[in-house]
Amino acid sequence: MTAVTSTPAAFDEMLDAGGPRAADEPLLAALERLGPDGRAERARQRDAYLDRHGITFTLGERERPLPMDLVPRLITASDWAVIEAGVAQRLHALEAFLADVYGPGMIFQDRVIPRSLVTTSTHFARQAWGLRPANGVRIHVSGIDLIRDEAGVFRVLEDNLRNPSGVSYVLENRRTLAHVLPEIFADYRVRTVGEYPEHLLDALRAAAPTAGSQPTVVVLTPGVHNSAHYEHAFLARHMGIELVEGRDLYCRDSKVWMRTTSGPRQVDMIYRRIDDDYLDPLVMRPDSVLGVPGLLNAVRANTVGIGNFVGNGVADDKAIYPYVPAFIRYYLGEEPILENVPTYDLTDVDQREHVIANIDRMVVKPADASGGYGLLMGPSASEDQIRATIAALEANPRGWIAQPVVRLSTCPTVVGDDGEMASRHVDLRPFATNDGDRVRVLPGGLTRVALVAGSLVVNSSQGGGSKDTWVLEDSAAPQVEAVPVVIRVAPVSAWLPARPNAVPSHNDRLAQQERQQQQEAQPDVEPEAGAATDATGERLAEC
Amino acid sequence: MLSRIAESFYWMGRYLERAEATTRLLAEHHQLVVEDQSVEFSLAAGVLVDALAISSARPTTGEHLARLVIGSPSEPATISGAVSAARDNARSVREALSSDTYESINAVQILLARGFGRGTSPGVALHRLLERLLVVNGVVEWTMPRDEAHDFLVLGRELERIDMMGRMLAMRHDLLWPTIGPAAVLRACGGLSAFLRTGEPSVGEKVRAFLVLDRTFPRSMRACADDAEQAVRALASSGVSDGGQLLSEVGMLRSNLEYASAGQPGVVDALIETAAAAGARAADLVNAAYFRQHGTIVWSH
Repeated sequence: MTAVTSTPAAFDEMLDAGGPRAADEPLLAALERLGPDGRAERARQRDAYLDRHGITFTLGERERPLPMDLVPRLITASDWAVIEAGVAQRLHALEAFLADVYGPGMIFQDRVIPRSLVTTSTHFARQAWGLRPANGVRIHVSGIDLIRDEAGVFRVLEDNLRNPSGVSYVLENRRTLAHVLPEIFADYRVRTVGEYPEHLLDALRAAAPTAGSQPTVVVLTPGVHNSAHYEHAFLARHMGIELVEGRDLYCRDSKVWMRTTSGPRQVDMIYRRIDDDYLDPLVMRPDSVLGVPGLLNAVRANTVGIGNFVGNGVADDKAIYPYVPAFIRYYLGEEPILENVPTYDLTDVDQREHVIANIDRMVVKPADASGGYGLLMGPSASEDQIRATIAALEANPRGWIAQPVVRLSTCPTVVGDDGEMASRHVDLRPFATNDGDRVRVLPGGLTRVALVAGSLVVNSSQGGGSKDTWVLEDSAAPQVEAVPVVIRVAPVSAWLPARPNAVPSHNDRLAQQERQQQQEAQPDVEPEAGAATDATGERLAEC
Repeated sequence: MLSRIAESFYWMGRYLERAEATTRLLAEHHQLVVEDQSVEFSLAAGVLVDALAISSARPTTGEHLARLVIGSPSEPATISGAVSAARDNARSVREALSSDTYESINAVQILLARGFGRGTSPGVALHRLLERLLVVNGVVEWTMPRDEAHDFLVLGRELERIDMMGRMLAMRHDLLWPTIGPAAVLRACGGLSAFLRTGEPSVGEKVRAFLVLDRTFPRSMRACADDAEQAVRALASSGVSDGGQLLSEVGMLRSNLEYASAGQPGVVDALIETAAAAGARAADLVNAAYFRQHGTIVWSH
């Protein structure tokens, strides 16, 4: 176990001072038994599997497999109960906030958050004001990013309420790991993730405004060049619904139609994976070629639903984020189950000066971006980067937030090609769906891992990888121990003319005599040399 | 054509299909019991061994399960047994096969005989095997003339598919693993995408109805009965034999499945049992109609 050492100060998911944590012991032992060579061999099998299945994301025009680590990350049943409750609570509050912001605006009157902070968000969609989705749900799918701080406490790092991506990797990671490394599952009962597409489809169907048992739901993708196209196709395929591009849809009579070989077909619900700005060139960006002209009009006429709804970005704006705990208290009257990471509001002069004075210990992020783009990691940034960022945040304090650097928790990870393990920093994105009746949090979620030693940036666009994430079943949950019905099957039918078993003695003699005959004709040919015999035959024919 | 040759084609069709279907089922079932331990292991793994009528041994690990089902050439219900029997049949009609066909079957046999190498997980090994088996079926389909021999091969394949489907559905994945079992069954016969496109929820009842009654999915019992019936008709029209009782057995099965109404509970379960039994009867009738018309003449010493 010499290869695995925990980075000082960070909380390690698997090791404490005395060695592996109890839940992780069998896993680490199984990995140890494989040895570096065994792990390297399985890593090769994993790469072949990912390549063959085309489980990729596109980065800078190149399609590549999302690096998946062989070591899963374990979450105990009791830790998961906290995450599940905390995520659901946060979503209820964020739903209430969105309904309020695009409706009565009570929260502004009660002075919980300044109206200006909300209306200056780049993702505040005036076009969505007064719109109310059919079943009231705006966040059909969310991905709330969690980290574990130095004390091992889960905290919310950011909310993703527009187009959270990565859930396809959660499902594929599980299948891949069970495919190439089944032995590590032996000592665990892991909660399954395969039912997610069904939950997503439930949430989307429930949100369709038109009544009827089977609304037509589609996934709207920007197209094959999008970095997450793999995921769009994956979700459409696993939900059994059409994957459409903007040009496949059109609006007429305030309804949305899909062009099909059997004529126009009305669409009731669109799970869109394109940004708000591109949705409808009539009311959003006029130069958008990805969207559907007239779509917002149809939404207003309540003939089609959109998931996630228009304008959600205002609630996952990083400058709004510090207020989310206040939302939970305001709308739900509860204390937040999951806390935020401390965050500085840079529009406040004192806080801004504090941040600039201590910038080498801060993470500075643009308020409206995601994917780790434009982020400044204070401790490792160059002088030039720091100067540029300070200038930018002084020019536009609303556009930035700052947080003290939190050392993300670490987890043993196979690094390099020789199968050695070392600690790497991880975060967690649990995915949740909301069908209006309940929020369902997929057990686990996407664990992203910074593959560069010491790095705290886990985004896949910045060289991060992922880990399969196991939520362990409560040890009290019973196992099924009996088949509910009697299995009745006949023996297999069998007939082997070349060596029949019906009349053994006679046929043994037949086979024996056949063999003798063959020996007289030509030397017995080994079965494996089939191709060679054919070649010999041809040569003879040529003579 | 010679009865002996026809019989070999028929059994080649059966065994190739059995090898492929068993490999696919084992791969998915293995993956399922690894991923979801909500069912006690020896039961979870044992249902597969039972359904294939392989042995009474209880698998203790995933690897053990894979070893039992991959089996050995002398057990016709195992993958090795099916491959070996398919090869024996191919060998006896070698002159009538394209050289590519024989070569591709040999490649499977060699892979099985050599093993998969240390440190290869069962999932990876089974996938490699499945790939080779798919090549065999591809080569057969693209190189065989559409003559009587092909009809016999198809007849064997379709009857075997009905049999294997009955075995798989007898395992009741839907009751043992209610959440991910139905999807696993669909994957095990390559039908997940086809099913999802129907828009039905993947619950056990719907999945079973789909695998028995669907018109378009090529491995549904109904589609297989349809193809089997057509093969028998083609043989009759090419003057081999009118098939006698066989045509009516296969035709009845097809029409039972075609006109069944899946609405009532229990209908599909009953159909699965009758279809599996009809398939077995049809197999006996094939024997009587084409291969053993005059019975076996035994000479006493």
